[in-house]
Amino acid sequence: MSEEKYLLEMVNISKEFPGVKALDNVSLRLKKGTVHALMGENGAGKSTLMKCLFGIYKEDSGEIFVNGVKMHFDNPKQALENGISMVHQELNQVMQRDVMDNILLGRYPQKGIIVDQKEMYEYTKKVFDDLGIDVDPKAKLGKLPVSARQMVEIAKAVSYDAKILVLDEPTSSLTQQEVDHLFRIINLLRDRGCGIIYISHKIEEILRISDEVTVMRDGKWISTKPADELTNEKIISLMVGRELTQRFPAKTNVPKDVILEVKNLTGKYQPNIKDISFDLRKGEILGVSGLVGSKRTELLETIFGIASYSEGEIRLNGKAIRNKDSTDAIKNGFALLTEERRATGIFGGLNVRFNSIIANIDRYSKHGVLNNKKTKDDTNWVIDSMSVKTPSQNTLMRSLSGGNQQKVIIGRWLLTEPEVLLLDEPTRGIDVGAKYEIYQLIIDLANRDKGIIFVSSEMPELLGICDRIMVMSNGRIAGIEDTKDLDQEKIMTLAAKYL
Amino acid sequence: MVKDKTKLYDKLLNYALPIILGIMILGVIIIEPSFVSIKNFTNILSQASTRAILAMGVAGLIVLQGTDLSAGRILGLSAIVSASLLQDINYAARMYPNLEQLPLIVPFLIAIGIGVFFTLINGFGVAKLKLHAFIITLGTQLIAYGAALIYIDRPPLGAQPIAGLDERYTNLVKGAFKIGNIEIPYLIIYAAIIAVIMYFVWNKTKLGKNMFAIGGNPEAAAVSGVNLTKNIMYVYLIAGILYGIAGFLEAARIGSATSITGQNYELDAIAACVVGGVSFSGGVGTIPGVLIGSIILQFINYGLNFIQVNPYLQIIVKGLIIIVAVSIDVRKYIEKK
Amino acid sequence: MKKLITVLVVVAMLTTMLGGCSSKPATSSEDLEIGVLIYKYDDTYISTVRQALEAEADGHANATLLMNDSQNDQSKQNDQIDILIEKNVDALIVNIVDIGAAKTVIDKAKAADIPVVFFNREPDAEVIKTYDKARFVGTKPEEAGIIQGEMMAEVWNEGKYDRNNDEVMQYVMLKGDADNPEAIARTEYSVKTLNEKGVKTEELGLQVANWDNDKANQAMEAWMAKDGDKIEFVIANNDGMASGAISALQNAGYNKGDADKYIPVFGVDATDEAKNLIEKGEMTGTVKQDGEGMAKAVFALALNAANKKEFIEGTDYKYDESDIAVRIPYQAYK
Repeated sequence: MSEEKYLLEMVNISKEFPGVKALDNVSLRLKKGTVHALMGENGAGKSTLMKCLFGIYKEDSGEIFVNGVKMHFDNPKQALENGISMVHQELNQVMQRDVMDNILLGRYPQKGIIVDQKEMYEYTKKVFDDLGIDVDPKAKLGKLPVSARQMVEIAKAVSYDAKILVLDEPTSSLTQQEVDHLFRIINLLRDRGCGIIYISHKIEEILRISDEVTVMRDGKWISTKPADELTNEKIISLMVGRELTQRFPAKTNVPKDVILEVKNLTGKYQPNIKDISFDLRKGEILGVSGLVGSKRTELLETIFGIASYSEGEIRLNGKAIRNKDSTDAIKNGFALLTEERRATGIFGGLNVRFNSIIANIDRYSKHGVLNNKKTKDDTNWVIDSMSVKTPSQNTLMRSLSGGNQQKVIIGRWLLTEPEVLLLDEPTRGIDVGAKYEIYQLIIDLANRDKGIIFVSSEMPELLGICDRIMVMSNGRIAGIEDTKDLDQEKIMTLAAKYL
Repeated sequence: MVKDKTKLYDKLLNYALPIILGIMILGVIIIEPSFVSIKNFTNILSQASTRAILAMGVAGLIVLQGTDLSAGRILGLSAIVSASLLQDINYAARMYPNLEQLPLIVPFLIAIGIGVFFTLINGFGVAKLKLHAFIITLGTQLIAYGAALIYIDRPPLGAQPIAGLDERYTNLVKGAFKIGNIEIPYLIIYAAIIAVIMYFVWNKTKLGKNMFAIGGNPEAAAVSGVNLTKNIMYVYLIAGILYGIAGFLEAARIGSATSITGQNYELDAIAACVVGGVSFSGGVGTIPGVLIGSIILQFINYGLNFIQVNPYLQIIVKGLIIIVAVSIDVRKYIEKK
Repeated sequence: MKKLITVLVVVAMLTTMLGGCSSKPATSSEDLEIGVLIYKYDDTYISTVRQALEAEADGHANATLLMNDSQNDQSKQNDQIDILIEKNVDALIVNIVDIGAAKTVIDKAKAADIPVVFFNREPDAEVIKTYDKARFVGTKPEEAGIIQGEMMAEVWNEGKYDRNNDEVMQYVMLKGDADNPEAIARTEYSVKTLNEKGVKTEELGLQVANWDNDKANQAMEAWMAKDGDKIEFVIANNDGMASGAISALQNAGYNKGDADKYIPVFGVDATDEAKNLIEKGEMTGTVKQDGEGMAKAVFALALNAANKKEFIEGTDYKYDESDIAVRIPYQAYK
């Protein structure tokens, strides 16, 4: 133990999942009264490290000290009881209940055996007043906007009187004013002597709020430095660990004629999607950037016919079309790769062949009976041309790595012979190496004259492989620019345009 | 203008169930004006009583994203055992010929014990073994039925209905208060008391709040330090108590118990819950809703019989009304894209 | 909004229409209403009685039957009785679900002073006697068993069916219900009669098959797999189960017309299906319940009671030794 008083020390933590070394001897030391930023690309191991802290995962080796005492937590409850609380990136909230029920979940005040509603209201009100949050404790949570729910979640974590607070991407759906508000709260807590672990992608925020920065990459600890010794560029190079040029394959595609025109599109039940107009060329990769809540996914769903629009027009090869549902969309030559691969993309318990042919099932069946040979041939094509690493066609989908799953899904859509591919976060949760292969695949597709819309939250990859980038802000287009005229800073400025 | 319209729509949706019930009552009255009588009213309520008690037990499990297929058979077993312990000592074909007259409370507690025994197995299966409620309760449904058959079919009498119930017992269940000319059956009062207690448990206690949290988002509840196993077990325990009480009351209400007592009651109870707005996706439901659901179902039985609809058509109408009521009710929660 | 209203209107209309088309014409004060409660509409035998009963009522212009299907649920039947009492019917005809509940039914009727005729499923005579306006019309449960036993003894004595020549009849029994008195009596008396006629018996298996064709079929399949070469007779409490057993036998190659591969099967009810099977030589015998005769008697008694007369006044029916029950005889059908 060092002489300096650490609130929390995680020493040489390692964790291995089947086939992946998720954490490799990672250490993190949090001082009292400081904000410690934890940075790294998706898949760098930040969330895994926090899950080990909260006992959601059990580390294979390594030790955790809280206030110098060796500790191990079996579940989040124990961590809470020891003054460690966390705001999760995916908000864990009970939508059907009201705000104060959520704030006091698991620790309702009681009068005898009756839950004291008045006390709940007053407590919540006090916590909110203390933090300057303006939300009605009696409002139903599900009816609040995402940003308000995020503030509620932060207030909840703070209200545990935690000495250690972990914030995982807390600003992903907040406006600039709300971010300022959050930072005031963080400063307040820091002054009270709390230690805060702040996980974020946003380098400027990190430099503004944090005292120390730890960077992770590929499950390894890379560096821990005081924030004032760091710059934007330094952090990026620490995170990426190599020159950007090596991360992306050569761009060989050449945009040709316009294939898709979208004019004045406005969502029917998502009126936030407003007046969207753009066009897409054959052989072009059009990136879509924006903050969480900027409605990128919803835009793709609207084009694909899963969500409806009240106004506007979509033209494919100059002809007006309307996708009433996904069947229509597929028939018209669209393909949608969904963001939540696990939830809406793969059939984990079924084999690779099923997953390859499912979107195209009509083509293999005569009177409802499948032609086995055809399905086998096409699955082979998927495996070969996407270079999927799988023992056989009968391997269960869930036993493949994330990258290979994604390749199967892209292959699935290619079998429908689409002209326009809508890719929603196709590289999320995939190893850096596998990402390169996905990028290569996307560029190959563009070379075959497909039009590609590529939604991503990772600006570097958009900058790396797109021809143009469309930045969305609060459901509207903030700008469409050639990639060579853009950088991360310009994208961020555009993304905040309509907040 | 548009806003007002949506507001009216929302309001109508919120009160869809009472409106449906109202329309049905009106329909029956138009066809058969003699339906308007206090006796009909108290008949429907008292007939709905034991079913509502059962439904309130099942409702908690549905709020937890579960269900209960065993409720009817558990009620049946409780009913059989209660009846066998409370046969009139002068009745010739007694199951226990040498049994002394027991205080009513003893069989009552035994009935509850039986209910709790089975629902705790269900709860254990759901909370600990991580079985889907459908599976574990399907299993206990069969076990309870088998146990009932074994219990009822044995020497000296062999399998026969357990009848000739003690008058203290039948009076306790079938009696009524008289206020002037109006008779209020005790059953209604029992159901009302239980409803008030359940309302209290659901809305005013920690357990109730935890139940909704677990049903709404189990992950969030776990992360916030709610002990899932313990709370789930408690909800099942309460269900067991209610099944036991309902079984105890049902035997005396029918006047006898057999191996088929309680058969398919769980389906009526589940129907009452969903008609009453308890969502199968969990986390949503109210006690008044369950009560209205039970009354609507009983009203369908009573009203259609009263206006002499063909018995086979009655079943079809009941099916249709369940579908219509629930599809209107779910509009409240459907999110449009 | 429009949709919601449409749905509500449809519900209201449905309710109204269904009620409207079957609601009875206004009755004058002299018209009689008789409430009828059937334990289960889709029971084969009872449905013939029910139809005969309805035909009988059609012949009497001043009597209307209010029909109820209790769906094999006593709780439902109690509810329906409440409704009929509230509608002030002149008499009740009750085919009770659970005979143990007879006391409850009688208490309800007694409180409203409405006469009751029970039929087919027989409550305890002591219970019926607690109300002077309650009667029973039915068969003697043991009689079906006795007739079945007599028929079987006759067939056995032909001497063709003792497959192992041990002079003992090896049989399997398909019982209708665990606690139904008819089932209990039929099961007991068929074998008892055989024994009284000097036939030695050995039971190879007994299954409660809930009066159900399919369950009986499954049980028979299992027995054939186990004791296919030993079973000499099949006894069923009703024809539905007998026909289920026959199809299992036929699967195993028996009862298809070859006289050497024939296992006698006996049922009760004389349903059309059973009669047909007997004609084809695939089934041996059944016992006829006279459904029409039963319906006639039930209606005559109820009508008298509704007219505030003694139940059997002006009819040819007589009470048996209990003084409250009228018995309709069974007949053998071969």
